[in-house]
Amino acid sequence: MIFTIFCVRHYEYDVGIDIFLSTYRFLYDSAMDYQIISINQKGENFMLLPKFEFYEPTSIQQAIELKKKYQGKAKLLAGGTDLLVHLKKKLITTDHIISLSKIKDLSQIKEERDFIEIGACVTMSQLSKSKVIQEKFSALKEGGDNLGNHLIRNRATIGGNVCGASPAADTLPALLVYQTQVLLQGPDGRRKVAIESFFKGPGKTIIKDDEILTGFELPIPQKNCGAHYIQLGKRKSSEINVVNVASFIEINPGNKTIKNCRIALGAVAATPIRSFFAEDALKNKTADETAFYEAGEVARRKDCKPIDDFRGTAEYRRAMIGVLTKRTLETAYKQAMAQ
Amino acid sequence: MEKFDVIRSYAPRLDAPDKATGKAIFTDDISRPGMLYGAMLQSPHAHAKIISIDTSKAERLEGVKAVITSKEAGTIKYGVSPARYDETVFATDKVRYVGDEIAAVAATTLEIALKAVDLIQVEYKVLPAVLTIEDAMKEGAPQLHEEFAGNLCAEVHQEFGNVEEGFKKCDIIKTTTMKSKRQDAAFIEMQACLAEIDRRGTLTLTTSSQVPHYVQRTVAMVLGMDVGKIRVMKPYVGGGFGIKAAANHQELVCCILARMLNKPVKMNFTREQVFKYARARHQFTHVITTGAKKDGTLVALKHECYLDGGAYTSFGIATVYYSGALLSGPYKLPNMSYDGYRVYNNKPACGAQRGHGAVIARAAFEQQMDMIAEEIGMDPMELRIKNMMNAGDTTCNDLNMSSFGMSECIEAVREGSDWDKKKGTLPKGKGIGMACGFFVSGAGFPIYRSDTFHCTVICKLTEDGGAALVYTASAEIGQGSDTAFAMIVAEAIGIPLENVRLASGDTDMGVDLGAYSSRQTLMTGHAAKEAGEHVRQQVLEVLATQLNTPVEELDIKKGFIEFKNKTPDFSALRTRYIKEHRGWTDNPDSEKLTFKEASRIAFLEKGSIVGTGKYRPHWLGGKFKGAAVGTSPAYGCSAQVAEVTVDIETGQITIDNITDAHDCGKAINMNSVEGQMQGSISMGIGEALHEEVIFNDKGEVLNNDLAEYKIVTSMDMPPVKAIVIESDEPNGPFGAKEVGEGAIMPTIPAILNAVYDAIGVRISELPLTPERVYNAIQAYKEKKSA
Ligand SMILES: Cc1cc2nc3c(=O)[nH]c(=O)nc-3n(C[C@H](O)[C@H](O)[C@H](O)COP(=O)(O)OP(=O)(O)OC[C@H]3O[C@@H](n4cnc5c(N)ncnc54)[C@H](O)[C@@H]3O)c2cc1C
Repeated sequence: MIFTIFCVRHYEYDVGIDIFLSTYRFLYDSAMDYQIISINQKGENFMLLPKFEFYEPTSIQQAIELKKKYQGKAKLLAGGTDLLVHLKKKLITTDHIISLSKIKDLSQIKEERDFIEIGACVTMSQLSKSKVIQEKFSALKEGGDNLGNHLIRNRATIGGNVCGASPAADTLPALLVYQTQVLLQGPDGRRKVAIESFFKGPGKTIIKDDEILTGFELPIPQKNCGAHYIQLGKRKSSEINVVNVASFIEINPGNKTIKNCRIALGAVAATPIRSFFAEDALKNKTADETAFYEAGEVARRKDCKPIDDFRGTAEYRRAMIGVLTKRTLETAYKQAMAQ
Repeated sequence: MEKFDVIRSYAPRLDAPDKATGKAIFTDDISRPGMLYGAMLQSPHAHAKIISIDTSKAERLEGVKAVITSKEAGTIKYGVSPARYDETVFATDKVRYVGDEIAAVAATTLEIALKAVDLIQVEYKVLPAVLTIEDAMKEGAPQLHEEFAGNLCAEVHQEFGNVEEGFKKCDIIKTTTMKSKRQDAAFIEMQACLAEIDRRGTLTLTTSSQVPHYVQRTVAMVLGMDVGKIRVMKPYVGGGFGIKAAANHQELVCCILARMLNKPVKMNFTREQVFKYARARHQFTHVITTGAKKDGTLVALKHECYLDGGAYTSFGIATVYYSGALLSGPYKLPNMSYDGYRVYNNKPACGAQRGHGAVIARAAFEQQMDMIAEEIGMDPMELRIKNMMNAGDTTCNDLNMSSFGMSECIEAVREGSDWDKKKGTLPKGKGIGMACGFFVSGAGFPIYRSDTFHCTVICKLTEDGGAALVYTASAEIGQGSDTAFAMIVAEAIGIPLENVRLASGDTDMGVDLGAYSSRQTLMTGHAAKEAGEHVRQQVLEVLATQLNTPVEELDIKKGFIEFKNKTPDFSALRTRYIKEHRGWTDNPDSEKLTFKEASRIAFLEKGSIVGTGKYRPHWLGGKFKGAAVGTSPAYGCSAQVAEVTVDIETGQITIDNITDAHDCGKAINMNSVEGQMQGSISMGIGEALHEEVIFNDKGEVLNNDLAEYKIVTSMDMPPVKAIVIESDEPNGPFGAKEVGEGAIMPTIPAILNAVYDAIGVRISELPLTPERVYNAIQAYKEKKSA
């Protein structure tokens, strides 16, 4: 079946108002048949989406078969907020698109005894509304809530965010500090990979051509744990982060020392990274302002390797890693103590 | 006080239902049978000689109908001001910026057109490019235009009073340098146009424009056609902010293709092309020295300004004059000198954007006002009130403030923001700041030298008197001008707004210079009022004869005829009216004679009742060179207070709230006045905090989309308290003047002054990105500890 998406303005990559306006105009216009024709023409006048074959498998198995059939050439479509932009900007090309939207299993959050499984197609809006995410994984909720804007969050999936592998992506630092396992499935079966080893570089992951990311497994934090995420950008919405940081700590309630801690930094290396030096510096220390400040200093000096670009200089990024590390730790600590 | 029935109310916008339901038709929504699509080849180099252009491959592609270069388009020079026509439709010998137009294609689909553009082969000899003012002004720098040595596009040198003498009398003299960055207006609708030609040779161009009139003249000139053979129309337009205030290449190319092929041709800019075409706010560097006495009296201002102009002039001549001219107010300032330089370089041309030329100058100057206030220990509001001009005053460069509610604006924001309680008492990291500003209510002269009327309006009654139809060539581009003119006509005739129907934006409807320099409400408003009054007069004259009553005793109010003295017996007229409408169920039975009845009777006597209106300002301004720029029949003015929180560790700024008071003369539509105030503030915040077009070293725009070019989102928008101050402008229709651009003037300096209040550091470069603020705080800390 040849499927030409006719409402390309829907995915116009110009953020915010454009997207709002286009989605909105689309909804109203499509009520009338004759105007769909004019939308068709409108579509052609923007960044043109290439023609492709479109598949909507209803099971993971079917999707994998399709993937295998077309090898590297078929692209998976989740929310499309990255993929369609890239297609329109001609950054990638493909003749086959496999939509994941009809595979029900992929859009669920399942709660087990000591872990949860988040399906690859769970959207940011879904994350934000989920009770278990709100209560047990607030840093991930923060990440999702800060991604793009309302319209984007209704479409953008966590799987897409991870597979997009942007060093600045909003959910990645939290996934790192929650010790996430990535669930992959291919013709040869399933495998589980620690998220630290999933990313290879900007836009690059270890996922194989015929594999699909089906979801994520996150151990449920125990008592006396807390976590927080902060992103820093120039404006308050629809922002590409200058840097972002997530921190997780577990406290010994008796003497208020830090039993365990994980810190992840974004936009300061080719992939999001763990801040191991800072983590080490905190272990067994008494949790207080000085400790958090020093951890920030260590993260800034030893753990991050940022670059200059037009969004910010390396120097500023470093400085902000220090500030955000300290601030995420402070909030994470308060959370841990509140339990 | 005069009592109004229609204006000065919160009227729903005429275009609101269409826009709210998605039914509004914009240029790109329009299609024609057999329509072709055009696309342009634009230069990939910032500066290069064109050695050869080979279009043969493109021409051979199936579906391609024409490929044109300067050979077909000709080399007639055009631009914005006739004094400086420096553009041709296509580059001939060389390209001067990444995006300079070289060729165009018309094809049956856009895909084919784009493919064909890729097939055009151009051989370039790449030339060294200059991308900054500094590089462009260096000795031996590559030259963009042979005629303009040293890449100097324009320079202005003016002195009013005697600045040197003035400084001798001063106790305080402050010099500061302020830099801004190039901006983009980021309107929502990208430029689009559709050209078609009929069997009799009339060319119709439908385009997303602010100025159908100027586009019409430019098309006529470049295509060598009579103005009478060209019709330019704008449907709904999604914003312009000055960038769409002149003909663009695409419009001209589209017309050339349509005429050549005898087929409708449509063309659109992508968002990248909007950034390539640019024509938005210049990058400014202002060096300002202000001198004052101990008691705060301003004495003299010395001002030097450099404008980063890009590759062509566009509005630049006007811009370089505006940057200087509009610092002569709103404070009494007897001595002022100005040296302005606009410099060419290999970037897209800059032009006019909301607050043309004056915004950054204002930002620099209003900061100095605060510095002086601080030094002499005076409240910034007091200092401003002390120096404020009054209604009737004329500036040193001959701008006359015929009405001026500036002091009222200051008082309003002082109270509205609780200034007296907050100033000086906020904790570290929080700050409050204020600024003033003013702007023209329509440029005093057209862009081309002419005695033309600036606008004409026609008003016609339907034969039953049920509606007044208004025809104006003015441009509704989202600002609400259609509603304002319908309200003015309704008020002028004396009928309810719902009985007025208005069509606009079409050169066939008259002359109107268009939507720029905040001119339409005052100017087209005058013409609309006159047209309405003309209609009213004609109806009343017939009625006076019929009822044998002196016409001076008759009035129309809210759709009814009012008699100043005794109401005469009008039953004969009513009977006649009812006889005309046998079988109708809605015949009048009111106590008062209706406007409908009166105008039906008038129609029966006279045939069409057509009223006409026109306006051009009286001669304005002084006699010196450049005296025309900055003149206006009236000036709107405003004061704003911004409250901010600065995150000292990250440099992030949050605007907590803004209190804004604007004197717009008599407000026609309160909704639109407040809307313009809100919109100006949102744009001002963007410019103050994050907007900046960034180029790489090849002259390409790096952030050419709205993900990376950061306009204000709704999340960044603070609560705004908008206070409308209504002076009564003697030169305005019903006392009205501008709000569209003046309202942006105080926003940036109010924020800058608030940020200083919060962190104790002045930042002299815009935008105040977190990084820039952070660096300034660090530098300040180091300096303090050293
Ligand atoms: C206006 C706008 C604003 C944005 N703002 C942000 C932001 O603030 N923060 C941020 O992090 N991102 C942002 N993004 C990027 C994007 O929205 C997110 O990365 C989003 O999570 C991508 O998810 P998606 O479902 O839309 O992915 P898609 O576009 O559908 O897919 C992205 C990539 O992942 C692959 N993929 C998707 N699902 C799977 C799967 N299950 N298995 C294997 N491969 C898969 C696709 O083939 C594709 O290559 C923004 C995008 C836009 C357009």
